[in-house]
Amino acid sequence: MDEWALFIFTLAVQASIGSTFVLYLFNLRSSELKEDEAYHLFRMPLIVISVLSLLGLAASFSHLGAPMNAFNTIRNIGSSWMSREIVLTGAFIGLTCLTAGLTIVQKKVTPWLMLVTAIVGLIDVYAMGALYATTLVSGWNSINTYTSFFGTTLILGAVLAVSLVAPKFSKETSGINAKGIIRGAFAVAVLGFTIQVVGSAMFFTAVHEVTMIDAVPASSILANYKGMIASGWIASIIGMFLFGYLAVSKSKKTFVSLTFTALAIFVVAQGLSRYVFYVMPG
Amino acid sequence: MTQIGFFIDVTKCIGCKTCVVACKDKNNLEVGRNFRRVYSFEQGVFPNPSLTHVSLSCNHCDVPTCIPNCPTTAIFKRAEDGAVLIDHDKCVGCRYCEWNCPYDAPQFNEQLGKMTKCDTCFDLRDAGEEPVCVTSCPLRAIEFGPIKELRKKYGNVSEIKGMPSASITKPNLVIKTK
Repeated sequence: MDEWALFIFTLAVQASIGSTFVLYLFNLRSSELKEDEAYHLFRMPLIVISVLSLLGLAASFSHLGAPMNAFNTIRNIGSSWMSREIVLTGAFIGLTCLTAGLTIVQKKVTPWLMLVTAIVGLIDVYAMGALYATTLVSGWNSINTYTSFFGTTLILGAVLAVSLVAPKFSKETSGINAKGIIRGAFAVAVLGFTIQVVGSAMFFTAVHEVTMIDAVPASSILANYKGMIASGWIASIIGMFLFGYLAVSKSKKTFVSLTFTALAIFVVAQGLSRYVFYVMPG
Repeated sequence: MTQIGFFIDVTKCIGCKTCVVACKDKNNLEVGRNFRRVYSFEQGVFPNPSLTHVSLSCNHCDVPTCIPNCPTTAIFKRAEDGAVLIDHDKCVGCRYCEWNCPYDAPQFNEQLGKMTKCDTCFDLRDAGEEPVCVTSCPLRAIEFGPIKELRKKYGNVSEIKGMPSASITKPNLVIKTK
Protein backbone atom coordinates (compact mmCIF):
# COMPACT_ATOMS: atom_id res chain seq x y z
CA MET A 1 0.00 0.00 0.00
CA ASP A 2 1.57 3.25 -1.16
CA GLU A 3 -1.18 5.71 -0.35
CA TRP A 4 -0.58 6.47 3.35
CA ALA A 5 -1.14 10.18 2.78
CA LEU A 6 -4.57 9.57 1.23
CA PHE A 7 -5.33 6.96 3.89
CA ILE A 8 -4.81 9.55 6.66
CA PHE A 9 -6.48 12.33 4.68
CA THR A 10 -9.71 10.44 3.90
CA LEU A 11 -10.10 8.98 7.40
CA ALA A 12 -9.35 12.28 9.18
CA VAL A 13 -11.59 14.43 6.99
CA GLN A 14 -14.46 11.91 6.94
CA ALA A 15 -14.30 11.57 10.75
CA SER A 16 -14.33 15.38 11.03
CA ILE A 17 -17.32 15.68 8.70
CA GLY A 18 -19.25 12.95 10.50
CA SER A 19 -18.58 14.36 13.95
CA THR A 20 -19.61 17.87 12.85
CA PHE A 21 -22.89 16.36 11.64
CA VAL A 22 -23.41 14.40 14.87
CA LEU A 23 -22.49 17.41 17.04
CA TYR A 24 -25.17 19.38 15.21
CA LEU A 25 -27.66 16.61 16.06
CA PHE A 26 -26.48 16.75 19.70
CA ASN A 27 -27.15 20.48 19.65
CA LEU A 28 -30.67 19.88 18.29
CA ARG A 29 -31.37 17.47 21.14
CA SER A 30 -29.92 19.80 23.76
CA SER A 31 -32.26 22.75 23.31
CA GLU A 32 -32.81 22.87 27.06
CA LEU A 33 -29.10 23.65 27.58
CA LYS A 34 -28.21 27.16 28.67
CA GLU A 35 -25.98 29.15 26.30
CA ASP A 36 -22.89 28.86 28.50
CA GLU A 37 -23.50 25.13 29.09
CA ALA A 38 -23.66 24.54 25.33
CA TYR A 39 -20.48 26.57 24.91
CA HIS A 40 -18.62 24.47 27.48
CA LEU A 41 -19.93 21.24 25.97
CA PHE A 42 -19.11 22.00 22.32
CA ARG A 43 -16.01 24.22 22.48
CA MET A 44 -13.39 21.50 22.84
CA PRO A 45 -15.04 19.06 20.35
CA LEU A 46 -15.19 21.82 17.70
CA ILE A 47 -11.51 22.67 18.26
CA VAL A 48 -10.49 19.00 18.05
CA ILE A 49 -12.49 18.54 14.83
CA SER A 50 -10.78 21.60 13.28
CA VAL A 51 -7.34 20.31 14.22
CA LEU A 52 -8.19 16.83 12.88
CA SER A 53 -9.38 18.24 9.55
CA LEU A 54 -6.23 20.36 9.28
CA LEU A 55 -4.13 17.24 9.93
CA GLY A 56 -5.99 15.60 7.06
CA LEU A 57 -5.24 18.60 4.86
CA ALA A 58 -1.54 18.41 5.73
CA ALA A 59 -1.53 14.70 4.84
CA SER A 60 -3.18 15.45 1.48
CA PHE A 61 -0.42 17.96 0.68
CA SER A 62 2.23 15.34 1.34
CA HIS A 63 0.60 13.24 -1.41
CA LEU A 64 1.39 15.90 -4.02
CA GLY A 65 4.62 15.69 -6.00
CA ALA A 66 4.64 19.46 -6.61
CA PRO A 67 2.69 21.09 -3.74
CA MET A 68 3.69 24.56 -4.97
CA ASN A 69 1.20 24.02 -7.79
CA ALA A 70 -1.59 23.09 -5.34
CA PHE A 71 -3.82 26.00 -6.35
CA ASN A 72 -3.93 24.62 -9.91
CA THR A 73 -5.97 21.66 -8.60
CA ILE A 74 -9.18 23.70 -8.61
CA ARG A 75 -8.86 24.70 -12.28
CA ASN A 76 -10.82 21.79 -13.73
CA ILE A 77 -13.94 21.97 -11.59
CA GLY A 78 -16.09 21.65 -14.70
CA SER A 79 -15.10 18.04 -15.35
CA SER A 80 -12.73 16.66 -12.71
CA TRP A 81 -14.17 15.10 -9.55
CA MET A 82 -10.78 15.67 -7.97
CA SER A 83 -11.10 19.44 -8.45
CA ARG A 84 -14.60 19.36 -7.00
CA GLU A 85 -13.46 17.29 -4.05
CA ILE A 86 -10.60 19.69 -3.33
CA VAL A 87 -12.91 22.75 -3.44
CA LEU A 88 -15.45 21.06 -1.15
CA THR A 89 -12.79 19.78 1.27
CA GLY A 90 -11.26 23.27 1.41
CA ALA A 91 -14.70 24.78 2.05
CA PHE A 92 -15.44 22.23 4.78
CA ILE A 93 -12.11 22.81 6.55
CA GLY A 94 -12.53 26.58 6.28
CA LEU A 95 -16.07 26.39 7.71
CA THR A 96 -14.94 24.03 10.49
CA CYS A 97 -12.23 26.43 11.58
CA LEU A 98 -14.67 29.35 11.31
CA THR A 99 -17.23 27.50 13.47
CA ALA A 100 -14.62 26.70 16.13
CA GLY A 101 -13.14 30.22 15.96
CA LEU A 102 -16.54 31.94 16.31
CA THR A 103 -17.43 29.64 19.21
CA ILE A 104 -14.28 30.71 21.06
CA VAL A 105 -14.66 34.41 20.28
CA GLN A 106 -18.41 34.72 20.90
CA LYS A 107 -18.44 32.17 23.76
CA LYS A 108 -21.51 30.52 22.26
CA VAL A 109 -22.18 27.96 19.53
CA THR A 110 -23.68 28.93 16.16
CA PRO A 111 -25.95 25.99 15.23
CA TRP A 112 -26.76 27.16 11.70
CA LEU A 113 -23.04 27.37 10.91
CA MET A 114 -22.55 23.82 12.22
CA LEU A 115 -25.38 22.69 9.94
CA VAL A 116 -23.94 24.44 6.87
CA THR A 117 -20.49 22.94 7.65
CA ALA A 118 -21.98 19.46 8.01
CA ILE A 119 -23.95 19.75 4.73
CA VAL A 120 -20.87 20.95 2.80
CA GLY A 121 -18.96 18.06 4.41
CA LEU A 122 -21.52 15.45 3.41
CA ILE A 123 -21.50 16.71 -0.19
CA ASP A 124 -17.70 16.48 0.02
CA VAL A 125 -17.95 12.79 1.04
CA TYR A 126 -19.98 12.18 -2.13
CA ALA A 127 -17.29 13.97 -4.18
CA MET A 128 -14.58 11.85 -2.50
CA GLY A 129 -16.52 8.74 -3.49
CA ALA A 130 -16.99 9.95 -7.06
CA LEU A 131 -13.27 10.77 -7.31
CA TYR A 132 -12.42 7.09 -6.83
CA ALA A 133 -15.56 5.49 -8.29
CA THR A 134 -15.07 7.20 -11.66
CA THR A 135 -11.51 5.89 -12.10
CA LEU A 136 -10.70 2.76 -14.07
CA VAL A 137 -9.30 0.91 -11.02
CA SER A 138 -10.97 -2.47 -10.56
CA GLY A 139 -12.94 -2.50 -7.30
CA TRP A 140 -13.02 1.28 -6.94
CA ASN A 141 -15.50 1.65 -9.81
CA SER A 142 -18.23 0.32 -7.54
CA ILE A 143 -21.03 1.62 -5.35
CA ASN A 144 -19.03 0.18 -2.45
CA THR A 145 -16.70 3.18 -2.67
CA TYR A 146 -19.56 5.57 -1.82
CA THR A 147 -21.07 3.32 0.87
CA SER A 148 -17.68 2.69 2.45
CA PHE A 149 -16.93 6.43 2.64
CA PHE A 150 -20.38 7.44 3.95
CA GLY A 151 -20.28 4.53 6.42
CA THR A 152 -16.90 5.65 7.76
CA THR A 153 -18.17 9.23 8.00
CA LEU A 154 -21.22 8.25 10.05
CA ILE A 155 -19.53 5.60 12.24
CA LEU A 156 -16.33 7.50 13.08
CA GLY A 157 -18.32 10.75 13.27
CA ALA A 158 -20.74 9.32 15.82
CA VAL A 159 -18.16 7.65 18.05
CA LEU A 160 -15.74 10.60 17.86
CA ALA A 161 -18.47 13.10 18.73
CA VAL A 162 -19.56 10.99 21.73
CA SER A 163 -15.93 10.58 22.85
CA LEU A 164 -15.38 14.34 22.66
CA VAL A 165 -18.45 15.29 24.69
CA ALA A 166 -18.43 12.29 27.08
CA PRO A 167 -15.90 13.73 29.58
CA LYS A 168 -18.33 16.65 30.14
CA PHE A 169 -21.21 14.32 31.02
CA SER A 170 -19.61 13.24 34.25
CA LYS A 171 -19.22 16.86 35.34
CA GLU A 172 -21.73 19.63 35.91
CA THR A 173 -23.83 19.80 32.70
CA SER A 174 -27.19 19.72 34.44
CA GLY A 175 -29.62 20.25 31.61
CA ILE A 176 -28.16 17.66 29.26
CA ASN A 177 -30.01 14.63 28.00
CA ALA A 178 -26.91 12.44 27.98
CA LYS A 179 -28.64 9.14 27.22
CA GLY A 180 -30.68 10.72 24.43
CA ILE A 181 -27.49 12.03 22.85
CA ILE A 182 -25.71 8.67 23.05
CA ARG A 183 -28.70 6.83 21.60
CA GLY A 184 -28.94 9.33 18.74
CA ALA A 185 -25.24 8.85 17.99
CA PHE A 186 -25.64 5.08 18.18
CA ALA A 187 -28.48 5.29 15.64
CA VAL A 188 -26.19 7.26 13.29
CA ALA A 189 -23.46 4.60 13.71
CA VAL A 190 -25.99 1.81 13.02
CA LEU A 191 -27.00 3.63 9.83
CA GLY A 192 -23.33 3.91 8.79
CA PHE A 193 -22.69 0.25 9.55
CA THR A 194 -25.79 -0.80 7.59
CA ILE A 195 -24.71 1.26 4.59
CA GLN A 196 -21.29 -0.43 4.66
CA VAL A 197 -22.87 -3.91 4.88
CA VAL A 198 -25.11 -3.19 1.87
CA GLY A 199 -22.21 -1.74 -0.13
CA SER A 200 -20.02 -4.68 0.74
CA ALA A 201 -22.70 -7.10 -0.45
CA MET A 202 -22.97 -5.24 -3.76
CA PHE A 203 -19.19 -4.97 -4.17
CA PHE A 204 -18.95 -8.37 -5.83
CA THR A 205 -20.95 -7.14 -8.82
CA ALA A 206 -18.06 -4.86 -9.86
CA VAL A 207 -15.00 -6.55 -8.47
CA HIS A 208 -14.15 -8.68 -11.50
CA GLU A 209 -13.97 -5.84 -14.03
CA VAL A 210 -10.56 -4.95 -15.42
CA THR A 211 -10.24 -1.84 -17.58
CA MET A 212 -6.51 -1.17 -17.30
CA ILE A 213 -3.57 -2.85 -19.00
CA ASP A 214 -1.49 -5.20 -16.86
CA ALA A 215 -4.09 -5.01 -14.06
CA VAL A 216 -5.72 -7.91 -12.28
CA PRO A 217 -9.28 -7.97 -10.94
CA ALA A 218 -9.74 -6.57 -7.44
CA SER A 219 -10.95 -10.05 -6.41
CA SER A 220 -7.47 -11.47 -7.13
CA ILE A 221 -5.74 -8.73 -5.12
CA LEU A 222 -8.18 -8.91 -2.21
CA ALA A 223 -7.68 -12.69 -1.96
CA ASN A 224 -4.37 -11.84 -0.27
CA TYR A 225 -6.09 -9.70 2.37
CA LYS A 226 -8.75 -12.09 3.68
CA GLY A 227 -7.49 -11.90 7.27
CA MET A 228 -7.43 -8.12 7.21
CA ILE A 229 -10.92 -7.87 5.71
CA ALA A 230 -12.34 -10.31 8.29
CA SER A 231 -10.54 -8.53 11.16
CA GLY A 232 -12.00 -5.18 10.04
CA TRP A 233 -15.56 -6.49 10.03
CA ILE A 234 -15.13 -8.32 13.36
CA ALA A 235 -13.72 -5.14 14.93
CA SER A 236 -16.69 -3.16 13.53
CA ILE A 237 -19.16 -5.66 15.00
CA ILE A 238 -17.44 -5.60 18.42
CA GLY A 239 -17.45 -1.79 18.25
CA MET A 240 -21.17 -1.74 17.44
CA PHE A 241 -21.94 -4.02 20.42
CA LEU A 242 -19.88 -1.81 22.72
CA PHE A 243 -21.52 1.35 21.37
CA GLY A 244 -24.94 -0.29 21.82
CA TYR A 245 -24.04 -1.18 25.40
CA LEU A 246 -23.05 2.46 26.06
CA ALA A 247 -26.41 3.59 24.67
CA VAL A 248 -28.40 1.43 27.13
CA SER A 249 -26.06 1.12 30.12
CA LYS A 250 -26.85 3.14 33.26
CA SER A 251 -23.35 2.80 34.70
CA LYS A 252 -21.49 6.13 34.78
CA LYS A 253 -18.29 4.78 36.29
CA THR A 254 -16.65 3.33 33.19
CA PHE A 255 -18.55 5.39 30.63
CA VAL A 256 -15.72 7.65 29.46
CA SER A 257 -13.10 4.91 29.25
CA LEU A 258 -15.51 2.60 27.38
CA THR A 259 -16.34 5.43 24.97
CA PHE A 260 -12.67 5.88 24.13
CA THR A 261 -12.30 2.09 23.83
CA ALA A 262 -15.14 2.11 21.28
CA LEU A 263 -13.42 4.96 19.41
CA ALA A 264 -10.14 3.00 19.30
CA ILE A 265 -11.93 -0.14 18.04
CA PHE A 266 -13.71 1.78 15.28
CA VAL A 267 -10.52 3.57 14.22
CA VAL A 268 -8.86 0.15 13.84
CA ALA A 269 -11.92 -1.28 12.03
CA GLN A 270 -12.26 1.59 9.58
CA GLY A 271 -8.48 1.81 9.20
CA LEU A 272 -8.31 -1.84 8.15
CA SER A 273 -11.18 -1.31 5.71
CA ARG A 274 -9.49 1.78 4.22
CA TYR A 275 -6.12 0.01 3.99
CA VAL A 276 -7.77 -2.75 1.96
CA PHE A 277 -9.39 -0.07 -0.22
CA TYR A 278 -6.00 1.41 -1.13
CA VAL A 279 -4.42 -1.92 -2.08
CA MET A 280 -6.83 -2.32 -4.99
CA PRO A 281 -4.79 -0.46 -7.65
CA GLY A 282 -2.24 -3.28 -7.17
CA MET B 1 -5.69 18.86 -37.41
CA THR B 2 -4.05 15.66 -38.60
CA GLN B 3 -4.37 13.21 -35.75
CA ILE B 4 -1.23 11.12 -35.28
CA GLY B 5 -1.10 7.54 -34.03
CA PHE B 6 0.94 4.34 -33.80
CA PHE B 7 0.77 1.08 -35.76
CA ILE B 8 1.97 -2.09 -34.01
CA ASP B 9 2.50 -5.30 -35.97
CA VAL B 10 2.15 -8.06 -33.38
CA THR B 11 2.86 -10.66 -36.07
CA LYS B 12 6.39 -9.27 -36.27
CA CYS B 13 7.02 -8.27 -32.64
CA ILE B 14 9.23 -10.77 -30.77
CA GLY B 15 9.04 -8.93 -27.43
CA CYS B 16 12.72 -7.91 -27.46
CA LYS B 17 11.90 -4.56 -25.81
CA THR B 18 14.43 -2.64 -27.90
CA CYS B 19 11.72 0.05 -28.32
CA VAL B 20 11.41 0.29 -24.52
CA VAL B 21 15.17 0.67 -24.06
CA ALA B 22 15.55 3.14 -26.95
CA CYS B 23 12.73 5.25 -25.48
CA LYS B 24 14.35 5.12 -22.02
CA ASP B 25 17.66 6.18 -23.53
CA LYS B 26 16.16 9.01 -25.57
CA ASN B 27 14.16 10.38 -22.62
CA ASN B 28 16.74 9.58 -19.94
CA LEU B 29 14.25 7.52 -17.93
CA GLU B 30 15.33 5.93 -14.66
CA VAL B 31 14.50 2.36 -13.57
CA GLY B 32 10.75 1.89 -13.33
CA ARG B 33 9.72 4.81 -15.59
CA ASN B 34 8.86 3.65 -19.10
CA PHE B 35 7.03 5.74 -21.67
CA ARG B 36 6.79 2.61 -23.84
CA ARG B 37 6.23 -0.89 -22.51
CA VAL B 38 5.88 -4.34 -24.06
CA TYR B 39 3.07 -6.53 -22.72
CA SER B 40 3.04 -10.27 -23.38
CA PHE B 41 -0.20 -12.25 -23.43
CA GLU B 42 -0.18 -16.04 -23.16
CA GLN B 43 -3.25 -17.91 -24.34
CA GLY B 44 -4.43 -21.43 -25.05
CA VAL B 45 -3.05 -24.77 -23.91
CA PHE B 46 -0.88 -27.40 -25.52
CA PRO B 47 -0.96 -28.29 -28.39
CA ASN B 48 -2.24 -24.82 -29.36
CA PRO B 49 -0.61 -22.27 -27.08
CA SER B 50 0.09 -18.74 -28.27
CA LEU B 51 2.24 -15.90 -27.05
CA THR B 52 1.56 -12.37 -28.26
CA HIS B 53 3.67 -9.30 -27.57
CA VAL B 54 2.30 -5.80 -27.96
CA SER B 55 4.33 -2.61 -27.58
CA LEU B 56 2.32 0.27 -26.09
CA SER B 57 2.95 3.88 -25.16
CA CYS B 58 0.44 6.71 -24.87
CA ASN B 59 -2.08 6.20 -27.66
CA HIS B 60 -2.91 9.92 -27.87
CA CYS B 61 -6.56 8.89 -27.67
CA ASP B 62 -9.57 10.61 -29.21
CA VAL B 63 -11.31 10.44 -25.82
CA PRO B 64 -8.35 10.68 -23.43
CA THR B 65 -9.85 10.05 -19.96
CA CYS B 66 -6.75 11.62 -18.39
CA ILE B 67 -7.72 15.09 -19.68
CA PRO B 68 -11.19 15.63 -18.12
CA ASN B 69 -10.06 14.01 -14.87
CA CYS B 70 -6.85 16.00 -14.41
CA PRO B 71 -7.66 18.54 -11.67
CA THR B 72 -5.13 21.11 -12.94
CA THR B 73 -5.90 21.13 -16.70
CA ALA B 74 -2.19 20.30 -17.17
CA ILE B 75 -2.94 17.53 -19.68
CA PHE B 76 -4.01 18.73 -23.10
CA LYS B 77 -4.33 17.59 -26.69
CA ARG B 78 -1.98 19.53 -28.97
CA ALA B 79 -3.97 21.33 -31.64
CA GLU B 80 -1.72 20.58 -34.62
CA ASP B 81 -1.38 16.80 -34.33
CA GLY B 82 -3.63 15.60 -31.47
CA ALA B 83 -0.68 14.47 -29.33
CA VAL B 84 -1.61 14.30 -25.63
CA LEU B 85 0.94 16.29 -23.63
CA ILE B 86 1.50 17.53 -20.06
CA ASP B 87 2.11 21.17 -19.11
CA HIS B 88 4.62 21.01 -16.27
CA ASP B 89 3.85 24.58 -15.21
CA LYS B 90 0.41 23.32 -14.16
CA CYS B 91 0.96 19.68 -13.10
CA VAL B 92 0.76 19.15 -9.32
CA GLY B 93 1.98 15.54 -9.34
CA CYS B 94 -1.19 14.10 -7.77
CA ARG B 95 -0.92 10.99 -9.99
CA TYR B 96 -4.70 10.92 -10.52
CA CYS B 97 -4.15 10.41 -14.29
CA GLU B 98 -2.49 7.05 -13.48
CA TRP B 99 -5.88 5.77 -12.28
CA ASN B 100 -7.69 7.13 -15.32
CA CYS B 101 -5.55 5.81 -18.17
CA PRO B 102 -6.24 2.27 -19.41
CA TYR B 103 -2.74 2.05 -20.92
CA ASP B 104 -0.53 3.11 -17.98
CA ALA B 105 0.77 5.96 -20.14
CA PRO B 106 1.33 8.71 -17.52
CA GLN B 107 4.51 7.94 -15.59
CA PHE B 108 5.53 9.74 -12.39
CA ASN B 109 8.90 11.45 -12.29
CA GLU B 110 9.97 11.31 -8.63
CA GLN B 111 12.69 13.91 -9.13
CA LEU B 112 10.37 16.46 -10.76
CA GLY B 113 7.38 15.47 -8.66
CA LYS B 114 5.29 15.62 -11.82
CA MET B 115 3.79 13.32 -14.42
CA THR B 116 5.61 12.57 -17.66
CA LYS B 117 4.72 10.60 -20.76
CA CYS B 118 5.34 9.86 -24.44
CA ASP B 119 5.41 13.10 -26.44
CA THR B 120 5.87 11.26 -29.79
CA CYS B 121 9.52 12.48 -29.79
CA PHE B 122 8.42 15.83 -31.16
CA ASP B 123 12.00 17.15 -31.15
CA LEU B 124 13.03 14.35 -33.52
CA ARG B 125 9.88 14.85 -35.58
CA ASP B 126 10.62 18.59 -35.89
CA ALA B 127 14.01 17.56 -37.31
CA GLY B 128 12.24 15.38 -39.89
CA GLU B 129 12.92 12.09 -38.14
CA GLU B 130 10.63 9.36 -36.78
CA PRO B 131 10.00 8.66 -33.06
CA VAL B 132 12.87 6.61 -31.62
CA CYS B 133 10.69 3.53 -30.95
CA VAL B 134 9.95 3.32 -34.67
CA THR B 135 13.55 3.64 -35.85
CA SER B 136 14.97 1.35 -33.17
CA CYS B 137 12.66 -1.64 -33.75
CA PRO B 138 14.76 -4.39 -35.35
CA LEU B 139 11.63 -6.09 -36.68
CA ARG B 140 10.13 -2.91 -38.16
CA ALA B 141 7.00 -3.67 -36.15
CA ILE B 142 6.19 -0.06 -35.20
CA GLU B 143 5.04 2.72 -37.50
CA PHE B 144 4.01 6.27 -36.69
CA GLY B 145 2.02 8.76 -38.71
CA PRO B 146 -1.41 10.21 -39.46
CA ILE B 147 -3.86 7.70 -38.02
CA LYS B 148 -6.12 7.94 -41.08
CA GLU B 149 -3.30 6.69 -43.30
CA LEU B 150 -2.34 3.92 -40.85
CA ARG B 151 -5.94 2.74 -40.67
CA LYS B 152 -6.22 2.83 -44.47
CA LYS B 153 -3.13 0.64 -44.77
CA TYR B 154 -3.68 -1.71 -41.84
CA GLY B 155 -7.35 -1.64 -40.81
CA ASN B 156 -9.21 -0.63 -37.66
CA VAL B 157 -8.16 -3.17 -35.02
CA SER B 158 -7.02 -1.32 -31.91
CA GLU B 159 -7.14 -3.98 -29.21
CA ILE B 160 -6.21 -7.62 -28.79
CA LYS B 161 -7.31 -10.11 -26.18
CA GLY B 162 -5.85 -9.06 -22.84
CA MET B 163 -5.91 -5.33 -23.61
CA PRO B 164 -8.50 -2.89 -22.21
CA SER B 165 -11.49 -2.18 -24.42
CA ALA B 166 -10.75 0.45 -27.07
CA SER B 167 -14.25 1.84 -26.44
CA ILE B 168 -13.03 3.51 -23.21
CA THR B 169 -10.71 6.10 -24.77
CA LYS B 170 -10.77 5.44 -28.54
CA PRO B 171 -6.98 5.09 -28.85
CA ASN B 172 -5.17 6.24 -31.98
CA LEU B 173 -3.63 2.82 -32.39
CA VAL B 174 -3.77 0.22 -35.13
CA ILE B 175 -2.75 -3.36 -34.44
CA LYS B 176 -2.03 -6.06 -37.02
CA THR B 177 -2.93 -9.42 -35.53
CA LYS B 178 -2.78 -11.92 -38.42
